[in-house]
Amino acid sequence: MTTLSSAHKYACSVLVNEPLAQDIWRMRFSCPELAQSMRPGQFFNLAVPGDPSNILRLPFSWSVSDPREGWVEFAYLLVGEGTRRMTTMIPGTASDLVGPAGNGWYIPQNTQHALVVGGGSGVVPLVALVHELTQHGVSCDFVEGAATQNRVIYEDAITHYGAHFYLSTDDGSRGVHGFSTQISQDLLASSAAYDVVYTCGPSPMMRAIAAQAHEARIPCQVSMEKLMACGFGACTTCLVDTKNGRKTCCTDGPVFDGEEVLW
Amino acid sequence: MVNDVSMSVDFAGIRLKNPLNTASGTFGSAQQFENFYDVSLLGAVTLKGASAVPWEGNPQPRMAEVFGGMLNSVGLTNPGVRGLVAESGAYLAGLASKGTAVICQVAGHSVEEYKEALVLFEELAPWASAFELNISCPNIAKGGAAMGSTPEGAFEVVNACRPLTKRPLIVKMGPVRVQEIARSCVDAGANALSLINTISAMSIDINTHKSRVARPTAGFSGPAIHPIAVRMAWEVCNAVDVPVCGIGGITCGADAAEFLLVGCKAVSIGTENFVDPAAAVRILEELKDWARSQGVSDINELIGAFEC
Repeated sequence: MTTLSSAHKYACSVLVNEPLAQDIWRMRFSCPELAQSMRPGQFFNLAVPGDPSNILRLPFSWSVSDPREGWVEFAYLLVGEGTRRMTTMIPGTASDLVGPAGNGWYIPQNTQHALVVGGGSGVVPLVALVHELTQHGVSCDFVEGAATQNRVIYEDAITHYGAHFYLSTDDGSRGVHGFSTQISQDLLASSAAYDVVYTCGPSPMMRAIAAQAHEARIPCQVSMEKLMACGFGACTTCLVDTKNGRKTCCTDGPVFDGEEVLW
Repeated sequence: MVNDVSMSVDFAGIRLKNPLNTASGTFGSAQQFENFYDVSLLGAVTLKGASAVPWEGNPQPRMAEVFGGMLNSVGLTNPGVRGLVAESGAYLAGLASKGTAVICQVAGHSVEEYKEALVLFEELAPWASAFELNISCPNIAKGGAAMGSTPEGAFEVVNACRPLTKRPLIVKMGPVRVQEIARSCVDAGANALSLINTISAMSIDINTHKSRVARPTAGFSGPAIHPIAVRMAWEVCNAVDVPVCGIGGITCGADAAEFLLVGCKAVSIGTENFVDPAAAVRILEELKDWARSQGVSDINELIGAFEC
């Protein structure tokens, strides 16, 4: 069944755009309509000016926002030509975006204790989630997996919100040497009784977390990433294979039930 | 105050309030665009192709960005005619009642499947102004471009479908042998033609040595194909007397104007719908501005005004 998007097209203007960690930048932009309407886990599709031969928008989820001041912040990993071009969007640069797109995270009723696991730039939409969870009085254990100590992002915000912060690095330069899935496995095996698990990151990581949650009989939400053109349900390029058939990542997701996804 | 320009055109007996149409596969079932503008401002909308039964389409990845456009390997994912009508029929009936022509695109893997889908549409879609036969999708193994790339194949599909409806039949053509295939379609009873569909193309990841999409080839669309599409539309306008809808890489009013000048009575906005969801209404306004700049009071005065 077609899910209709809530996305609109809004003007935006860059306020801050600077390095946040190694190969990761942080952009904060003014867009009151988005700041006031977007929920954690939703995303927007940003027009990146400067190269008419590169026509498509780039989709990003957000980390922090201020509805009163009308700004939204996110962090982006420099992976290709488009994200490198984004680093030239100096404060004052005007652009536009399509959002809020997608469904966002779901907080089940009576949630008291959540396990949140982010890998790499997948931490971004979980920052907004942890803010919302802690505001609702939910106790959060947050596991961040980074490639190396210079790529750890949003640790301050996550601890400031009151979450317990656990860290792994692939190279062992800080925290547990290895993957976030080792920490999450230990936490799930400990006495902590989680009501829900949330995860966003590389697909193999999310698959492992979903399997751990399944084993522990705890519901798990995963935020999927697929190549997409429009972001609002028109192009049907961003499909996710699920037990209930092929779904559209941009309108039916990006957040899916971990039990539902066919990895 | 500028004099307003009459934008209305006749397209295969359908009165369009303006020449703006949307390319199938880039516009969903139209209602996805209501958040961005009032879709009933458009002359017509062409829906995502639908088949007699639901199609899952191709596996991931289904798109790749390339210089000046994108490749898609969607493969006509659709919920089937019944699914489309159940999901969007009420909305589309409302859109049609506001004077926007709703064009349903018909997909199939074989002549029989085209016929089955068209019969279902004929019965279930009283609000449709016309049907478009997609014999040019490059992303499916059977049907689509596999059938519409020869004059004989195109004739067979159109000839088989022609008796099944009294409403106008449009044929969506690919970028091959366009004059011959256009004549075949018209000989078989097509009331109008639309072109071009995407161009079969490749993009390879030089590190993995694999295609950047799930299949080796995919359909290329976007501004890079516009000059090719204009040339092909011009050739078809010269070859047949039925109306032609020009499609290919339109990003602005000037791009659309070129199609009108070579003789197209309508234009479809495709990939630009993804880039700027409000593109079609913007281009309509830009087209009006262009018509005023040319000193005409009726857009029809500019259709076919190309001098060579």
